[in-house]
Amino acid sequence: MTSADFQTILPEFLLALYALAALLFGVYGGKDKLGPVLVWVTSAVLAVIGVWISLRGGEAQTGFHGMFLNDGFARFAKVMILFSAAAVLLMSEGYMARRNLLRFEYPILVALGVIGMMVMVSAGDLMTLYMGLELQSLSLYVVAALRRDSIKSTEAGLKYFVLGALSSGLLLYGCSLTYGFAGTTLFSGIITAVGEGQAPLGLLFGLVFIASGLAFKVSAAPFHMWTPDVYEGSPTPVTAFFSTAPKVAALGLFARVMHDAFGGVVGDWQQVVSAIAIASMFLGAVAAIGQNNIKRLMAYSSISHMGYALIGLAAGTALGVQSMLIYMAVYVTMNVGTFAFILSMEKDGQPVVEISSLNMYAKREPLRALALLVLMFSLAGVPPMLGFFAKLGVWQAGIDADLYWLVGLSAVASAIGAYYYLRIVFLMYFGKDDDALEAGGSPVLWGFLMVSAAAMVLGVVNLFGIEGAAAAAAATLVN
Amino acid sequence: MRAPRPAAPLTPAVRSGPAPTATPTQRAEETAIATDPKSDRRNGIAGWAPVLLSATLFAWFCTFLPAVAEGEVLLWQLDWVPSLSVSLSFLVDGLSLTFLLLISGIGTLVMLYSDSYLRGDPQYARFALYLTSFMLSMLGLVAADNLIALFVFWELTTITSYLLIGFHNDEADSRRSALQALLVTGTGALAMMAGMILMGVAAGTFEISEIVAQGDVLREHPWYLAIMILILAGAFTKSAQVPFHFWLPNAMAAPTPVSAFLHSATMVKGGVYLLARLHPALSGTEVWLWTLTIAGAATAVFASLQAMRQTDMKQVLAYTTLMALGTLTLFLASGSAYAITAFVVFLVTHSFYKASLFLMAGCVDHGTGTRDLRVLGGLARAMPLTALAAAIAALSMAGLPPFIGFIAKELGYGGSIEAASSPLLVTGAALIANALMFTVAAVVALNPFWRRGGETPSKPHEADWQMLAGPLILAALGLAAGIFPHVLEHYAAAPIAQSLLGDAEKAKELHLWAGVNTPFLLSLATFALGLVLYFARGALRRALESTVGRLPDLDARWDDVIDGLKGFAAWQTRLLQTGKLRRYLVVIFATYAGVMAVTLAMKAAVVVELDFSDLILKQWMVVGLIVTGAAIVTVTRSRLAAIAALGTVGIGVALTFIVYSAPDVAITQLLIETLNVVLVSVALLRMPLLDPAGTHDHRPKDAVLALAVGGVVATLLLCVLAVPMDMRLTQFFEEASYPDAHGRNIVNVILVDFRAIDTFGEITVVVIAALSAYALLRTTGRRDRA
Amino acid sequence: METLLSLTIGLLIAAAVYLMLARNVLRFLFGMLLLSNAVNLLIFTAGRLTFGVPSFVPEGAKLPPEDAANALPQALVLTAIVIGFGLFAFALVLVFRAYTSLGTLESAKMRVAEPEEEKA
Repeated sequence: MTSADFQTILPEFLLALYALAALLFGVYGGKDKLGPVLVWVTSAVLAVIGVWISLRGGEAQTGFHGMFLNDGFARFAKVMILFSAAAVLLMSEGYMARRNLLRFEYPILVALGVIGMMVMVSAGDLMTLYMGLELQSLSLYVVAALRRDSIKSTEAGLKYFVLGALSSGLLLYGCSLTYGFAGTTLFSGIITAVGEGQAPLGLLFGLVFIASGLAFKVSAAPFHMWTPDVYEGSPTPVTAFFSTAPKVAALGLFARVMHDAFGGVVGDWQQVVSAIAIASMFLGAVAAIGQNNIKRLMAYSSISHMGYALIGLAAGTALGVQSMLIYMAVYVTMNVGTFAFILSMEKDGQPVVEISSLNMYAKREPLRALALLVLMFSLAGVPPMLGFFAKLGVWQAGIDADLYWLVGLSAVASAIGAYYYLRIVFLMYFGKDDDALEAGGSPVLWGFLMVSAAAMVLGVVNLFGIEGAAAAAAATLVN
Repeated sequence: MRAPRPAAPLTPAVRSGPAPTATPTQRAEETAIATDPKSDRRNGIAGWAPVLLSATLFAWFCTFLPAVAEGEVLLWQLDWVPSLSVSLSFLVDGLSLTFLLLISGIGTLVMLYSDSYLRGDPQYARFALYLTSFMLSMLGLVAADNLIALFVFWELTTITSYLLIGFHNDEADSRRSALQALLVTGTGALAMMAGMILMGVAAGTFEISEIVAQGDVLREHPWYLAIMILILAGAFTKSAQVPFHFWLPNAMAAPTPVSAFLHSATMVKGGVYLLARLHPALSGTEVWLWTLTIAGAATAVFASLQAMRQTDMKQVLAYTTLMALGTLTLFLASGSAYAITAFVVFLVTHSFYKASLFLMAGCVDHGTGTRDLRVLGGLARAMPLTALAAAIAALSMAGLPPFIGFIAKELGYGGSIEAASSPLLVTGAALIANALMFTVAAVVALNPFWRRGGETPSKPHEADWQMLAGPLILAALGLAAGIFPHVLEHYAAAPIAQSLLGDAEKAKELHLWAGVNTPFLLSLATFALGLVLYFARGALRRALESTVGRLPDLDARWDDVIDGLKGFAAWQTRLLQTGKLRRYLVVIFATYAGVMAVTLAMKAAVVVELDFSDLILKQWMVVGLIVTGAAIVTVTRSRLAAIAALGTVGIGVALTFIVYSAPDVAITQLLIETLNVVLVSVALLRMPLLDPAGTHDHRPKDAVLALAVGGVVATLLLCVLAVPMDMRLTQFFEEASYPDAHGRNIVNVILVDFRAIDTFGEITVVVIAALSAYALLRTTGRRDRA
Repeated sequence: METLLSLTIGLLIAAAVYLMLARNVLRFLFGMLLLSNAVNLLIFTAGRLTFGVPSFVPEGAKLPPEDAANALPQALVLTAIVIGFGLFAFALVLVFRAYTSLGTLESAKMRVAEPEEEKA
């Protein structure tokens, strides 16, 4: 290991050091009494590393003989991951502390999971990929099962684990098939072995297995089954975490593998990714209609949103990757805001997840209701909210790549999907006035809700300039 | 993509039916707000600021008039999201300017009206904000020169209108209408969006001013039909053309100033505006001509018949609005000079009289507490000015001279007798619709004031000047425009002809008296028919009740559609999301096995030869060990046997590694395998038997699936092995191992030097696993103690 | 030999899948163990088998023998084994906890009915 190698993983390494130090501190210090402090510190550390990476810039570097890449794409995704994880962590503090759920392991596990995600988006090798994936999955399995007093949480953790382990197995199988054919696990080696045009059959299967293993991680149909159960069963802050950073990481990794390792045979995977995208959009849109639990609804919503983001990937172009990155940035921001709202839904001090409890919310809390309305419209992709521009971006990338049918079907799906977002808005403004929801929530949650909603409106001015950054990031991946 | 659309009352509305006593308490509440001098709190800045803003905008737009009348087109452009071809560009030509003036002008009067109508409402500031935002979005919509920007404003109008309806809402029934309006226009808008993207791609630009110059390219383009259908879907839903009309009458539950502004003068005209704006790009084909003709004619006739049936003032006005929208669509079907001139004049005419009548209806509602036409009467004495406004507006609506309505009707007939589609059909439809309008005008605007009256819920009283200004000014404008038609011709008709037909000279001249010609004779026939219908209105209403009233209506199907959708969602969730882990696993395995088997069968590129000749006994024994172990684990019911068999498999695998030159791997494998067995043994001691008493684990279907998966995996591996191995990377490690890393054990070198990151990861994974186990076990412990 | 090993791996996978589909979660764990063994063998086999020549650089030489075993898959398998162990240990704890809090090992019974959920 040379110092140049070390340079490329410096952020990950420092974060790992921090996590281990925090762990020791936690175990031999005050254990759960330290929970709140650790949450704030971890959140700050994540945010600081995020700022550092975004300022670091510079040329693309590779370390460990190409196994670890630190390019614009990785940096863009990492910044998203770090910031969203920091935000979600901060939001969860009050909620978990009040319910006596705040264990000192929680922030540490999140930090370790974030390392895994950072490794994922930087992977330049099948084994690095697998390792990063396991690193983040393992942390996620645990935080899903962390709720002490709920058997539902245990059930969620177990289901997630069983299906997750299976998908990891499939992914590993795909990796070994690919390795068997290409003779190398390096993406740069695979892409030469694959060459241009038609991939050999075995390699194609390797590709399919890797893609479906990753589809599981982004909870794209037909590998989405864990999502609703796990979203519902996990503590709400954990659900919020699930719906943000890991999605960015998994999708980033997806794009990374497809372009870096299989970039020569776009035609071969375009169909697979398109099929997954369509299945996800429709399944998410239709299944959400019947839901009355807002967490399950957000699960289906995220399934659906992953479908749209995958359109960008299916395009197989730099424009596609750019639109996918923008989509994810907008998606994460919307979800942070929406979950800030869900975390503040309370009645008699107990968390409430029924959508029907939002009846006539607008009358009691006009400002919050307006903020949620903005977020729901944005999630539904109604202009002029930012969510619309995100969708427009992937659609244009799709059309640019001649995927007209994909774009057309996704437009239909988004019409169906809009129904359930609007149902929430509708209840808030037109519901029956019977089920009073308290004005709960801390100033932190209020702040995140408002900032996120404001971003959906103000971002329309120039998308906060992330367009250029995303374009630069995409250019390092596709060339 | 969603277009929320209005529908529920700001103030409680009286619905058609035996109304006056329907909502006595709410009614009393509203009346109290309106009449109680103590609650006569001024709305302050929120009251007058919007009026000032819209008046200023109106004045500013007026300054464009001379230039636009000269045929100039004003353009502003600003880059917005360049990579998505979205620019914030605005264009002001005759068409835009006419709409801009109507919106800001009527907006000013409606703001003024609302300030009085909702005086003392504590939330008025919010209402004014929404109403102002709506107006600004509408202005943006008609001035936008970029398709995407236009769409953004389009949806913005729906959001703000949704907020306006949601402002106060207590009535359970109107919730359905709100959702309905939302979904119908939203779906349409989405289709329109798709059409716009296709259009932009086909024309190579998203700037409307450039697209309309490429009409020929678009009409020849293979996507023309798709583009047209998709864009019409948006325009027809927004402008409530048959068969998408049903949401508009339902939406009349909205408060009166909102109805007056949104549902007569502005928002619903958005669809018509779009048709007009894209007219140069899309019109001129048979399919455009006939689609618009049929939809427009059907809407006009159907709506005017429906209008006769209604008894609620606002419902009547809603259907007459539908009729007007149908007529405007009909005019846009063809590109003849007559039709386009008629379009412009009728557009302006309708805005004047309809906004006036809606505001008048609000005054009546406010002053008497009801809008039921069967009850209202004799109001002329108590509300003389309202009566005056109503009368003037009604005369214009009826199409009598010297009002602008007369000119509009004449021009309309002029267009219809030379219609390119079918003069007979178009003229017939126009005649029926106009005659019915004549009758409806008398019923809705004259009867309540002049016939002998019944009892109204509260004692009729005149509205104040703020509420009267709107109806009076708008009605007077209708008269003025009729007397001085050349003003309208110079400032609206000619510039719009320039926009749509490319030539201002093509606009027909506007005259009150054009001599005795066919249109004039048709007008006379209209009046005659209208009078007959007026006196036979009782019988007509009964006849309509038994015919039109029984027509199948999408509105009735609506609930079925929504229920069906919910049912489908529930069904597919039951099917896929059972919550049963086993089911999920089966789906996943079956998907894989199926997909792979099919692909293998179809592509069967590799012929696998099973060759066992090179095997020696040692190898057979190792494999035998693994297979036996696996078989025992699979079938045994004993925990102990299972553990032992698992150990056997592990040892078998380790032996394989030894046999094939991987001693390091074998050692690790043995170590880990031992650990596993120990862990499992410890855990099993604290858990129950594999199969509870009396149950068996016998699953033939699963066995088939399992064998299929195993078979496919083995086949794939054989395919891999049939291809020669690429050893370049291994060679690199072999060559670099000793010289670079000073290690003789290449595997070790790879792990600690070349692939150190894997090792770093491995360690982290193990740390996490340990931490996780600790966290979970700690949880369990506490639970037990608690 | 590769052929025989391929078939063995197929059998191992079949046994693993069968076990993973069982109602009892413990059997799922057994299946997982078999599966990780199968995948390790698979990576190893995909890298081609070499009989009796470990991948060492002999004393005095700079390169390993011409026909030495492929070292790369061995390194990969080592990584996979360790990660697999971590996963398995964690899984065991998870199952144990599920058993103590849910009182069952039947995956089908791990569907918590709606009314019961808040009582716990």
